[in-house]
Amino acid sequence: MIDLIPAIPLAAVICLLLFTALDIFWKLPQKGGVSGADVIGKELENSGGDKNGGWMIGNIISSPDASAGTLLAACGYYVWGIWGALISIVLVYIGARICADKGFAGTSGAVCAALIIWALTSFAGFPPESFIAGCVIAIFLVEGISPKHASRLLGKIWRKVS
Amino acid sequence: MEEGLMIVEGICVVIAVYCAIRAVFEPKTLKKLPYLNVMNFAVAGSIVLLMPYPLTICAAVAYFIGSTLESNAIASTFARLEEK
Repeated sequence: MIDLIPAIPLAAVICLLLFTALDIFWKLPQKGGVSGADVIGKELENSGGDKNGGWMIGNIISSPDASAGTLLAACGYYVWGIWGALISIVLVYIGARICADKGFAGTSGAVCAALIIWALTSFAGFPPESFIAGCVIAIFLVEGISPKHASRLLGKIWRKVS
Repeated sequence: MEEGLMIVEGICVVIAVYCAIRAVFEPKTLKKLPYLNVMNFAVAGSIVLLMPYPLTICAAVAYFIGSTLESNAIASTFARLEEK
């Protein structure tokens, strides 16, 4: 059983790695996707950021991607265990269709997050609420401190991987 | 409220307030959107933490999807304005 205080930073790192990896796997930094994501990417590029990283941040903002799936699966798991996580997976799938997103980044994020949270809470003794705080901290690190620098870093990772 | 829950709820609320303030003081509308998105994450998290019932999942998802849809609408309106 891990205490809550050390569990939160660990959960933040796990969530950050999970949704960055999934977003890059689903090629979110490759193009703007919906027109809103495109214009956010260009705006970040104009202010000194990176185009590919900007598109990824634009896609995170304008459709439920893997980070949204991670947070909502964590919320579902906290409230009602594996059933809650299943409900969130279905709702994230419907939500992505509402936002005219043709990809499966959100749904796959929710599925992977549900499995990881289930494994870590059952076998490693993480408290489920640590993943809610962890995911909020992870998205804060990506978008809340400096979107410009975050987009540069994401663009660098994307160019290295692709 | 339990002490552990207070810490988690506190983190969500502090991040939400910080991002709301940054969004208010950011002059360009398109650059407000990343901060607002973080705020939406934090608010969706705190909705679930405050009301831990199964139905709350639907409320949090509805809030979150609705806010993404709004951000998308604002950004695509800007895209259309730029085209003109």
